[in-house]
Amino acid sequence: MTPSSPAPPFTTDTLRALAQAQGLTLSEPDLEGLLPLVQASRAVLGELAAAPLDDVEPTSLYRML
Amino acid sequence: MADLVWASMGELARLVATKAASPVEVVQAHLDRIAALDGTLKSYITVMGDSAREAAKAAEAAVMAREAIGPLHGVPVGLKDLYCTKGVKTTGGSRILGDWVPAEDATVVTRLASAGSIMLGKLNMHEFAYGPEGLNMHYGTPWNPWDPATHRICGGSSSGSGAAVAAGLCPGALGSDTGGSIRIPSSLCGLTGIKPTYGRVSRAGALPLAWSLDHVGPMCRSAADCALMLGAMAGYDPRDPSTSVLPVPDYAAALTGQVKGLRIGLLRQFFLETAGAPQRHAVEQAVKTLEGLGASVRDVTLEQMKYAAGVVAAVISVEAYAYHEAWLKTRGAEYGPDVRQRLLVGAFVSGADYLKGQRVRRLLRDEVDQVLGGVDVLIAPTVPIEATEVGAREVDVNGRREPVRPSLIRYTRPFNASGHPAASVPCGFTADGLPIGMQVIGRSFDEATVLRVADAYQRVTDWHTRRPPLGA
Repeated sequence: MTPSSPAPPFTTDTLRALAQAQGLTLSEPDLEGLLPLVQASRAVLGELAAAPLDDVEPTSLYRML
Repeated sequence: MADLVWASMGELARLVATKAASPVEVVQAHLDRIAALDGTLKSYITVMGDSAREAAKAAEAAVMAREAIGPLHGVPVGLKDLYCTKGVKTTGGSRILGDWVPAEDATVVTRLASAGSIMLGKLNMHEFAYGPEGLNMHYGTPWNPWDPATHRICGGSSSGSGAAVAAGLCPGALGSDTGGSIRIPSSLCGLTGIKPTYGRVSRAGALPLAWSLDHVGPMCRSAADCALMLGAMAGYDPRDPSTSVLPVPDYAAALTGQVKGLRIGLLRQFFLETAGAPQRHAVEQAVKTLEGLGASVRDVTLEQMKYAAGVVAAVISVEAYAYHEAWLKTRGAEYGPDVRQRLLVGAFVSGADYLKGQRVRRLLRDEVDQVLGGVDVLIAPTVPIEATEVGAREVDVNGRREPVRPSLIRYTRPFNASGHPAASVPCGFTADGLPIGMQVIGRSFDEATVLRVADAYQRVTDWHTRRPPLGA
């Protein structure tokens, strides 16, 4: 896969495999209900790719003030 | 007794201190009103009647003995049911913690008690604070007091706090705010609520939704009461390493009523422009009122707000999943279906996406800091819509159909990401008599100016003094 390859679409099979890898047991109705939420989440997270991050570091949890 | 349940926290403190009212009668008036109305409103999960009456007797004895008393002596308060209370169950609005009894109080509970407050009970909320509507399938969804005929949402997640304070079932309450959960119910229930700066108030003993976005704050019927309550709660806490060592100002003393010369930045793009017509009109009128008091107003823009949804989605989903992971694996069926589904989404967000969210979050925070370098406060609507009927998934906004949930948090979540203090202040009503809120955002750790603006506005308007149509 080259860096410019688009990410493959998430399917219930993708979710099932990822869930199993994390020790989550999800039924088929669970997976079908989750899929649109995960797809929506990936879409909104994808919008962050356009942010001009350059060398911006993550916000730290604890402010020392 | 009706006057006591509508008195402000400041008035109640004065009445008690001057022996014009007994804490016992103040507490009993509120317990009577809870008994009369909360079967429908469902704002409380646990009413602490016996302990509240005992505390009231002790408070009365202290006054009679002329002991030194705190600024909230004898004043009742409600606690969102995610604040730990020693010996009293703390459910988080969930079945999973339905019988959990903490061994110690949250720091804010201890501080309110030290200031003299009497705990009336634990307030209903969206399960584990994960929802802006304030729904709850386990304890019943709180009913917005402003429409007795139709079951409308209070907004969440602090929905019980919103219903209880609006209906006179407590004069002030603790809320918590991860994406808007103090400001949204304050707006939809006609209250004044403030989300302080991240680090201003301890989160120790508060059940987390997302550690780096959670804020603790008060919901009251006026900015003056918020100042009183926040002053009792704020400040460094060794139990919460994210709290600041900066000194806490006297918030009540900051309420001068003066805004002459104050510079207001009006957030039109992304905020006002997309609000419903009643909300936009009410906020524009409120800004004119502040102009009339001597403030100057200019439009400002936050370009990075287009990333706010992605930032909060990345951070909240991963942090919430991390907290709930073990329960999701072993007790998943005990969650409400909507909350369980949303929590599970976090299992499919990568570590890289989480950190990208935290990196973009810095852009948001820096931009808000930069814009607030040129003005003293920002103003925007709190939410673009009115309180919807329970169960509604879409709402009409200026002829467009929009989903309710993202609409509710659109204007509030950016300031959870940035950490700046933000209050919601009543600024009008829709044609159907439902409250509208204006958001006032300030510089980091400058809650005093936010509250001063809110209080100055409330000195010349009466939106915050109106009462829902519930009878006496």
